[in-house]
Amino acid sequence: MNAVSVETMTDDPERFEELVREHQAMVFSMACRYLRNRALAEEIAQDVFLQLYRKLPALESPEHVVHWLRWVTAHRLIDHSRQAKRRPQSPLEDVPEPAAADRLGSADPLLSDMLRDLVASLPENARVVMILRYQEDLDPMDIARALDMPIATVKSHLQRSLALLRDKLSRQKGVGK
Amino acid sequence: MNLDDELRAALRREDPSPGFAQRVVARAKSKPAPRSWFPKMMWATALAAMLVIGFGAMSEYRENQAERAGREAVLALRITAEKLNSARDKVIRREN
Amino acid sequence: MRRLFLLVLIAAGIAAQLPGQLLQLRITGLDGLAAKAKESVDITLDSNLLQMAGGFLAGNGKDKDGKDLKAVLAGLKAITVRSFEFNEAGQYRIEDLEPIRAQLRTPGWSKIVSSQKKDEISEIYTRIEQGKVVGFAIISAEPKELAVIAIEGSIDLNDLSKLGGLGVPAIAIPDQGKKGKKE
Repeated sequence: MNAVSVETMTDDPERFEELVREHQAMVFSMACRYLRNRALAEEIAQDVFLQLYRKLPALESPEHVVHWLRWVTAHRLIDHSRQAKRRPQSPLEDVPEPAAADRLGSADPLLSDMLRDLVASLPENARVVMILRYQEDLDPMDIARALDMPIATVKSHLQRSLALLRDKLSRQKGVGK
Repeated sequence: MNLDDELRAALRREDPSPGFAQRVVARAKSKPAPRSWFPKMMWATALAAMLVIGFGAMSEYRENQAERAGREAVLALRITAEKLNSARDKVIRREN
Repeated sequence: MRRLFLLVLIAAGIAAQLPGQLLQLRITGLDGLAAKAKESVDITLDSNLLQMAGGFLAGNGKDKDGKDLKAVLAGLKAITVRSFEFNEAGQYRIEDLEPIRAQLRTPGWSKIVSSQKKDEISEIYTRIEQGKVVGFAIISAEPKELAVIAIEGSIDLNDLSKLGGLGVPAIAIPDQGKKGKKE
């Protein structure tokens, strides 16, 4: 991570732009994996960075910028879901069975697409936990800190979500364990 | 198939559309961001500042408690308003 | 003697309902539902926590949303929310709500909105003293969702509409005895 002094960035748009470029993939991807909607994900990501712009003087290190961005993005996405709750959403069980995927291992775009759909169908908190685990590679303790959630709850979300995904995938004949 | 590896591959980070950072900076310089999230940013800012400044344990506990209470209060009021509207909608549908 | 004793008991019961002695609604019978729910919300905020929340959110006093919220919270003594979302229907019975609804049939509470179908209930109750709402309860029961909300204290529901900036939806509630304007 660039050791750029955060507190002076609001005076220097170029340096702030550099900071945005450094973290845009993280914030955008969290939103995109959560919402499965690129346009909305970009909109939310923009709002997160605009808030960062106003709050930078209160954040004193690059590490806390990252922590702050994850915290804000996660909670904003969960709140967005709660407000949009009345829109029809397919629960995980209603997601159609995946088509048979060819066995190209991790380079399987069909499987990847299917997994993204399945993750996006998880309940709100479980969804963000899975994204922080597999996109950001955070361990359960860091996820608990990022979401202000008990670690037991984080682990429970991970276990149940993985079990659901495995079940969904294994019903399709010929797709791994 | 290793599900962990497949999930990491599927959820790999990707960039937004080209020019994203420039658009953010342009917006930052032009108009204020939506105020609806401002109070939540206050909570987030206070939390991050406490971690750095290192208040006393009791002070930090009280701040966390207040922050959590604030978040829960807003959520409680949101749910209340949603259920009020839902009840009203049902009555109107029944009357119609 | 026995009749006198009964009269004393009845009087004590009535006295307990007089202004200034509001009985907090006890939300009971829902404890096992969180384990069955895919999502649940469990919030209990007493007057101390509400005061802390209001002070924290109002911050330096420059934020209008924070100030509006602090004003709403200032009149409240307690908020309790139990909300559940289930993957499938049948995870609870309407009868499970009877201990709560029984409390809302006691003197002092008025049901101002009621909508009931076979396996759905939407009810709003208020408790009014000296022309002001001092208690508020909502029961919203659907096949896959259940919410029970109890608010104790003085609240003007129209003030909730000022909190749109915090994501609180605008609400429209029936007038409570106020004369409406004729168009």
